[in-house]
Amino acid sequence: MPRILTRRWRATSGPWALLCTVVGFVYLFSLGPILITAAVSFNQTNRSFFPPRGFSLRWWERAFAPEWIDPLLFSLKLGSLTALLATLLALPLAFALYRYRFAGRNALIALTLGPLMLPTLVTGVGLLQLFQYLGWREYIGFTALLVGHVVICMPFAVRTVSISLQTLPPNVELAAASLGATRWLAMRHVVLPLIKSGVVAGAVFAFIHSFTDVNLSIFLARPGEVPITVKILGFLEFGFAPTLAAVSVITLLLPLILVAIVERVSGLGDFIYGDHRRG
Amino acid sequence: MTETGQRRRVPAYWLLIAIPATVLLAFFVLPNALLLSASFLKSEAQQLTDQVTLDNYRFLFTRPLYLEVFARTFIVGLAVGVIDIVLGFPLAYFLVRTKSRWKGLLIALSLAPLLASVVVRTYGWYIILNRFGVANDVLLGLGVISERIAFMPSTGAIVIGLAHALLPYAVLTIMGSLNGINPNLESAAMSLGASRTRTFFNVVLPLSLPGIAGGFILVFSIAISAYATPAILGGPATQVAATAIYTFIIQLLDWSLGAALAVVLIVCSLSLLYAASRMGARQATL
Repeated sequence: MPRILTRRWRATSGPWALLCTVVGFVYLFSLGPILITAAVSFNQTNRSFFPPRGFSLRWWERAFAPEWIDPLLFSLKLGSLTALLATLLALPLAFALYRYRFAGRNALIALTLGPLMLPTLVTGVGLLQLFQYLGWREYIGFTALLVGHVVICMPFAVRTVSISLQTLPPNVELAAASLGATRWLAMRHVVLPLIKSGVVAGAVFAFIHSFTDVNLSIFLARPGEVPITVKILGFLEFGFAPTLAAVSVITLLLPLILVAIVERVSGLGDFIYGDHRRG
Repeated sequence: MTETGQRRRVPAYWLLIAIPATVLLAFFVLPNALLLSASFLKSEAQQLTDQVTLDNYRFLFTRPLYLEVFARTFIVGLAVGVIDIVLGFPLAYFLVRTKSRWKGLLIALSLAPLLASVVVRTYGWYIILNRFGVANDVLLGLGVISERIAFMPSTGAIVIGLAHALLPYAVLTIMGSLNGINPNLESAAMSLGASRTRTFFNVVLPLSLPGIAGGFILVFSIAISAYATPAILGGPATQVAATAIYTFIIQLLDWSLGAALAVVLIVCSLSLLYAASRMGARQATL
């Protein structure tokens, strides 16, 4: 069917129009609550009026008070360190899984993906128990959170690095070796630059997973060392506060900006889709 | 000489995997093993003893309170799975088949909620559903209700919040299987005289069943272990497995029961994900 005909048929046909309507409602369902949260943060009064009554930035001012900025910075620090460590651990792991066939390889894959399969909450409880059992109580807080986040974020990094390794042209390493490169030089100058975008994507996913985690963090945080998500969750007991809406919008915008920048610079889309097609 | 010769025989992959594997063994396998063992130990005065027992499991599976928690968790998982498939399938089908030039943006918009923490996304529902919230304002304004209703805490609110939070997972999984269907099959069916509706039900739907089943199981398994949404939109009377684990461990300091409940959750999740990976869900691919 010629393209124009298809289009006209689609535009006028019932099922497609119906589908578009349904899809519109799904988008509304999916994005509505987020937009409402953003809108009520501009309310003048201490109520969640929607549409907002009046316009005020005072809740936003309060969102930048130390009470909220500190956990936010804590989460940023935790997320960045997690992304760095998880990627550093994921690189050799993914490379070994891609490059070598060895006894126990499948077990290692299962081990690597384990934190993704098991409920995060359970890993959090387990780590809390481990730290208490070993008498490492003073490490509960930032250190325990870092360890936990690295464990639950590593699978994301391993997966994206694996995907980009699979797109390597075959035998690049052999080619480099035949030109006289040592294994390390081939890795450093040939393989790493080629998988760079996968490594960056892995670090970004690890950061976002860490930054948005609640299930593990609720068990390992301690007063003064609290990620922003846990802080928000704890604050919800006191009911609605427009400040919280403003804080929510900030924590939502940060990963969004990060993803937009990285998408511009090195591309992320392939890694959300890429492994799909490979299935 | 022999010594260095032997050292050289240490395979290269050992050097690569040694540190990451150790980290995973120490901080993932070991904690879970500890948890598993704690679930078989008796707890006394908020301390674990070394008495081996099955009482923790017996307790969980006989008390009506906890049977209710299991039932609620299961129902929540089921309802969230069904809702997300019903909402996610049209969206996924639209995103795969649309010729719009905004396709990239539309896909990004449908996945963008994944960038926000579940806490933030659920907070939106809190604003909408609480007694003085948006839903009440709108319904009062329209004259549908005459006095304020508490939509939350309730199991229904938990279901809505989780369905909202987990929708992108269903969309991603279903898109994966729809992407694998050759669009020519649809053209072929229609050229043979099938209507668009009939083509959909006889060709597209059966071919995308693995994705639907995989998406359902993935969403179900995340929903039954979710903590934040039930904690925000539910209350003490609407506990689910995850909030009950939190109560046991953080508030009651009863490690045995908390661990046993966690083990039940692990067993459910793992068997579900195993089933899902057999059906082609993306979670298990590397």
